[in-house]
Amino acid sequence: MPGIDECLYEAMALPGARGASVVEWISGLALGAVGDSPNDDHEATAAETAELARLAVEYAAFAPAGVPVEDVIVTSGAGFHLLRFVETGFDSSVFLHLWLDRETGNLALARIRLRDLAERLALR
Amino acid sequence: MTTTTESALDAMTTTGPRPGREPREPHAHHRPSRPAKTAVLASLDGPPSTTTANAATLVHLAAQRATGALLGDAGTVYLMDGEVVHAESPNAPPLDVLLGPSVLAPARWQEAVDYAGGHHQVARYLVDHAGVAPGELEICHLGALFDAAFFALAPDAGPARFRYGAAHWLGPIRPVPARLVERETRRRRALLDHVCPCPPLDTAPLCRSRAAKPRAGGLARSRRAVLDLVDGVRTATTIARLLRRPAFHVLVDVRRLAAAGYLDAPRTAPPAAPPALPAWIADVSADPDLALLRRLRDALEARL
Repeated sequence: MPGIDECLYEAMALPGARGASVVEWISGLALGAVGDSPNDDHEATAAETAELARLAVEYAAFAPAGVPVEDVIVTSGAGFHLLRFVETGFDSSVFLHLWLDRETGNLALARIRLRDLAERLALR
Repeated sequence: MTTTTESALDAMTTTGPRPGREPREPHAHHRPSRPAKTAVLASLDGPPSTTTANAATLVHLAAQRATGALLGDAGTVYLMDGEVVHAESPNAPPLDVLLGPSVLAPARWQEAVDYAGGHHQVARYLVDHAGVAPGELEICHLGALFDAAFFALAPDAGPARFRYGAAHWLGPIRPVPARLVERETRRRRALLDHVCPCPPLDTAPLCRSRAAKPRAGGLARSRRAVLDLVDGVRTATTIARLLRRPAFHVLVDVRRLAAAGYLDAPRTAPPAAPPALPAWIADVSADPDLALLRRLRDALEARL
């Protein structure tokens, strides 16, 4: 039953992890952040990733028939970005963001671990 | 529920900007490293809104590592050793409303307040004895904290005073730097105006637009829920409480609904009609007694 910080430190233990944060996507606020951020500013990164998450959640194309979005994945030649939505018992609109190095990161492993972390964050 | 002695209270009152005590650096909180255009949410068009009087006071107190409560009509922000540990506002649904009965039954909440409120350890009790996940509590509480601070530190929040030593019965959960709270409240105001620059939507009863036509693709689920509760009487604050959502989240949805044409801009209240005067006043003013007025003038001048 980890809190936000424990969850982020566990995410940072993944191979190739460069930065991790818990972000509330309606306001774009980082509730917690560790490691580096792509533009040296966790708050700006949170706002940018929140905008991406909001589009995924709000557009019908990504959540047909109300089936919730689980992840948003962005890849580039330099790295991977993995956003995992956190399901809580209340209306939370929060996701975990993990930034991985392209060379050393393992996207498939990270996705499984981030899913587990998101579940444990709200586990009672 | 606060633990303070009256003699130590009210040592500080804010009624407006106090240039003598707070360095005037309106842009000091902007980090220069941030690019001019990072994201819609991060850097919004228009001049950056300035720090409010209450926010400046909060940051000033935090720099002194103060402990206590900044109290105002629009909300209260609690500091512990210079960090923000809690905030509450009449406009923002409180933590127990946001958590809701599926996470925390009302009876368990009351039990936690009864048992641990006196020791300021309700939060710890919720995790240890009421089955609330620490992560859930942190996420929900941060949501409540920033939500209430948004109102408590608003430009129109009115004066606030600081009660040194006051602590909230919830106890610390995840303390936040005061400068982050100040920065975030400012950013949230800019975000709302970026979506739809119509601040009266935040407080006025909300009305559906009769001209609204359903768009292809429909509305996002959260906005549909808000729109369903718009009845010409309820305000955004009332709807937030009914939906158990932070008020700011509903404010964002309301502004987006208005921008998309689903809501009418609130009609600004017409200026109150001047009270009806007795008919004889009109007669008097139509036929002023010049002699009386001259005597009055002379009498007044004689006293100068």
